[in-house]
Amino acid sequence: MSKNKKPVSSEIAISVQDVHKSFKLPTERAWGLKQAIFNRLKGVKGFKEQKVLRGISFDVHQGEFLGIVGRNGSGKSTLLKVLSGIYVPEKGKVEINGNLVPFIELGVGFNPELTGRENIYLNGALLGFSNEKMDEMYDEIVKFAELEQFMDQKLKNYSSGMQVRLAFSIAIRARGDILILDEVLAVGDAAFQEKCNDYFRSLKGNQTVVLVTHSMENVRKFCDRAIMIENGKIAAEGDPEEVSKAYLALWK
Amino acid sequence: MKIPKIWNKRNRVLLKELIKTDFKLRYQGSMLGYLWAVLRPLLMFAILYVVFAKILRFGGDIPHYPVYLLTGTVLWNFFTECCGQGIQSIVMRGDLIRKISFPKWIIVVSATSTALINLTINLCVIIIFALLNGVVPSFSWLLVPFSVIELYALCLGISFLLGAFNVKFRDISSIWDVLTQALFYAVPIIYPLSMVSATSETFAKLLLLNPIAQVIQDVRHNLITTEAQTIWNYINNPLMQIIPIILVVIILIIAALYFRKRSKYFAEEV
Repeated sequence: MSKNKKPVSSEIAISVQDVHKSFKLPTERAWGLKQAIFNRLKGVKGFKEQKVLRGISFDVHQGEFLGIVGRNGSGKSTLLKVLSGIYVPEKGKVEINGNLVPFIELGVGFNPELTGRENIYLNGALLGFSNEKMDEMYDEIVKFAELEQFMDQKLKNYSSGMQVRLAFSIAIRARGDILILDEVLAVGDAAFQEKCNDYFRSLKGNQTVVLVTHSMENVRKFCDRAIMIENGKIAAEGDPEEVSKAYLALWK
Repeated sequence: MKIPKIWNKRNRVLLKELIKTDFKLRYQGSMLGYLWAVLRPLLMFAILYVVFAKILRFGGDIPHYPVYLLTGTVLWNFFTECCGQGIQSIVMRGDLIRKISFPKWIIVVSATSTALINLTINLCVIIIFALLNGVVPSFSWLLVPFSVIELYALCLGISFLLGAFNVKFRDISSIWDVLTQALFYAVPIIYPLSMVSATSETFAKLLLLNPIAQVIQDVRHNLITTEAQTIWNYINNPLMQIIPIILVVIILIIAALYFRKRSKYFAEEV
């Protein structure tokens, strides 16, 4: 484990120890009773094992802004899902200190038939917030999304930009100890993006954030430290500047 | 998995929110809205009543036969609706499971609870019908909730077990559809149990060992007429009498264990 150059805090927020994860990918259409019985009779396994994470270890300190980069299919999204508790690692351990709020995708559980308000509360409940907590955050979320007049409209009447703005506002206004974000920085028009950038800058140093992104610009701008994943292993780790150089070097 | 641990505030809030959403969305965009919860069983009852009470003349010796028939249909509808929703629930909520981590049992419980709400409404309708039909209220009405709990426990067991199974083998819901069709005729809903016992006592007793039949007969007995044959007054052996309840408990335990084991992998498989 390489040491962080300027530790934000010595307290550890996330500790990932030697995490392995593989998936069983069906080789043919094995997703039915008939095929399952056939495969059993023929002695065919019906799936092949795909190793996605092969021994990943790192720590995230409290108040640290960690960037995770890597090519498509390198395993970073899987890693994020393991951190969020969606996948169970086969080997290794993930320890979380504090309340983790994951945003693997924006607007999880959003329903077009519900109003903006109802969707905020449903989304909040899914993220683990009580109604009282959501009451506290509600005004801020709506204000940040700039959707004050639309909260009693059904979501299906929102433009796609409005929907994303609402989802994104929940994501960044949700008060958790640890925020997990998967490539959600580029939403909305230029003005909204500028607002989001300001917000991220303000988070830096105050909030533990794990961000998965393809934008090296964002890595340099926001992250205290970065990790590059390649073939399910950590290929580079440390200073955001160096990690983004290593990332760009992948294509050379 | 201790009860206080799974029944924490976070899970309660989420469960409440999902039940609210499910119920709101169920009759979204339909003109009669929630009324359908009452109308559907009433319409089905009307059909069965015309065919079986008026044309085929079943249940001539049973007092308050229309209410008796309605009770059976409502409870049966609850069973199929509850299990149908429960078995589909995990697959239907696949997009959520893939993107966020939360206890999966909440999905099954919230999906089945809409049926439970509908049943409560329908039981009120039955009571109104019963009173109109001249049924005299009695203290045995207070026993009905216990029967409902037993039936709901059975539905939950089936939903947890087959809902988890359905993730890997999507054929389950189709098989279940056919199975319920067959089961419908094995439960004394449209025909009175006395019709069966007139032919074969053993066969009638066998039918009563099915928890669904046992519950339906119990509710009819406690709510409408003491002439309804139940497992308690028709089968004398106390050991035989508790077979349906034991079945429910066994199904529930197996379902809980299997669901607990599989739910970790729903996010990958669904």
